[in-house]
Amino acid sequence: MSATETAMKRVAYYKGCLASLSAKELDSSTQALAPMVGIELVELESVTCCGAGDIHEAEPDYYLHLNARILAYAEATGCETLMTVCNVCTLNLRQANFMLQGDAALLGRVNENLETVGVPTYSGGVEVRHFLWEIAEGEGYEKLKDVAHRGLKGLKVAPFYGCQILRPSKIMGFEDPDRPWSLERIIQACGGEAIDYPAKVKCCGFPIIAAREETALGEMIQPIEQALEAGADVMVTPCPLCHLSLDAWQQKLEASTGRAFQLPILHLAQLVGVAAGLEEAELKFKRHIVDPRPALERLEV
Amino acid sequence: MQVGLKIWRYDSATGDRALREYEIEAPEEATLLDCLDIVKERHDGSLAYRKSCRMMICGSCGMRMDGAAVLACKTRMYDIAEEGRVPVISAMGNLPIVKDLVVDMDPFWAKFKSTQPWLQPGYERPDDGREYRISQERMNVIHKEALCINCGCCVSECNAMESDPEFLGPQALAKGMRFVGDPRDGATVERLERYNQEHGIWDCTRCYFCNERCPKGVDPRDAIAKLGAESIRLGIDRDMGAKHAKWFVRSAETTGWLREEELIPKTQGYVAAIKQLKFGASLARHGKVRPIPFPHTANDVDEARNLRKLVREQDRDGALGIVQGERALGRLEHGHKDESLEEIYERPGAAPRPWLPEVEEEASA
Repeated sequence: MSATETAMKRVAYYKGCLASLSAKELDSSTQALAPMVGIELVELESVTCCGAGDIHEAEPDYYLHLNARILAYAEATGCETLMTVCNVCTLNLRQANFMLQGDAALLGRVNENLETVGVPTYSGGVEVRHFLWEIAEGEGYEKLKDVAHRGLKGLKVAPFYGCQILRPSKIMGFEDPDRPWSLERIIQACGGEAIDYPAKVKCCGFPIIAAREETALGEMIQPIEQALEAGADVMVTPCPLCHLSLDAWQQKLEASTGRAFQLPILHLAQLVGVAAGLEEAELKFKRHIVDPRPALERLEV
Repeated sequence: MQVGLKIWRYDSATGDRALREYEIEAPEEATLLDCLDIVKERHDGSLAYRKSCRMMICGSCGMRMDGAAVLACKTRMYDIAEEGRVPVISAMGNLPIVKDLVVDMDPFWAKFKSTQPWLQPGYERPDDGREYRISQERMNVIHKEALCINCGCCVSECNAMESDPEFLGPQALAKGMRFVGDPRDGATVERLERYNQEHGIWDCTRCYFCNERCPKGVDPRDAIAKLGAESIRLGIDRDMGAKHAKWFVRSAETTGWLREEELIPKTQGYVAAIKQLKFGASLARHGKVRPIPFPHTANDVDEARNLRKLVREQDRDGALGIVQGERALGRLEHGHKDESLEEIYERPGAAPRPWLPEVEEEASA
């Protein structure tokens, strides 16, 4: 049975800032892949940035209200799930959601404010889930196994989780933050070989890359160096911020160390997309700084 | 029960390093600390580790189990022994090892001390001769930070400190917040200026390892966010990290989406950003940034703008904005997010209800 013949799961799709601009390839590959794994994306029209960690730090009350507004518009679609494709959006939205669901007085105050500016109120009925979780288990995983028939044929893939999809685990709660398994499971289902290395759960340095570049590069080198030592052909990450630092800033790491890493970094939807036979028009590898195509062309398909 | 442990032994005097395996018999209620005591008393007296209170309050026995910092006295071994796992025990990270599981805490204490972790009184005594009273709302701001026992588990795993060893770090900054948020303290601005320096709050890379590891629920990353929020509230925003954070606010209220292409010049200043032109050009070649940024505006962005105006009038700026969610998140941590406090205390075998002034006030009202 093909994926489209069974019921599709409707989710409100929050793409966030990066997938709207510098990581458009994440949006196009997610849009193309989602129906193949049984997910119907309902795009949100009137949403803003979640504020990253930045509005949470600069004006935390505003952070809460911006995220409540996103949750309210997601609820208004009638979907039970708000699907994210970015670690930072996932943490921000899940955190705000738990704050509102666990404190009736706070929810009341926020709703009053939302109403004042003309936003629908939020009842607390949405669950925020990352695309990774949707395809790592359950129905999504079963369909993934069906569509990933083109296979990655022994491609050595380094899973890189990043931080804010694992920690704080009380807010994430999907898997053991020290022994995660979801990316490995997906890599294997696509016919790839998941390689293991300690820095896969550590920070890529992105949040401070503009303000503390040297410190950020000192963090970023760990996953890149360790993945290459373990024999990785490519790296995959569920977070477009990790992607941006690991891909775009890799040239700065090369300049500062005098070494040539040239490790291609794939978005999760691109890696599965390759296995599912998506084309360059959707994968848009030309938008990467380190071109993954030479590594992928070696695949015998 | 049978407990297996692999312990990294190290002697800084000789540089000798070895992973030793121990197999011991321990009572079922044994903690990791109990097991280490058994190793030392019955198997190998040369093993070095720190301990004191055995009840999670002195902060002496921080160490790593399978790479994750724990308090040895808080870590029960029953499940691990049942699974037949043999965990690897090693010294905490980000601090030099003296011997086996004992680290040199001097760099830790030096950073702690540099935050001046004591009250610098700056309040007026009430005229009526009674004590100075603080509202519950103000105490909530520093409640979690006051729980810190200086064990170092957060520092052990701090990703930013691995890269910049001079970073003040999660423990020192959490304690700093404990005094910044104390209404009796008179040095708030001086403290924030100090914590806003090069190796201060804007070094934090938001990896959340500190929140994950803290055995006392301090959530140091949240404390650092509170310090950032208080700094920006008081106009202490010269650091590039503060400018970076403020640009997200500006973006949200003007276009709704992050104005990514202007982020580097707004953070580093237009003069410094000229050095990034070559880098920017490489991104532009791949369509990551556009040569001429034009606004990419979200629908109904006036709602986001009006929302900011509205909430800024409601006196929950700074750290107060963060703590308003702490109670809900705390309930999440203890696994009863769907229960009210009433329901929790009415559960069979529940702990007795603590005395809470607000409850009494509600009852008498």
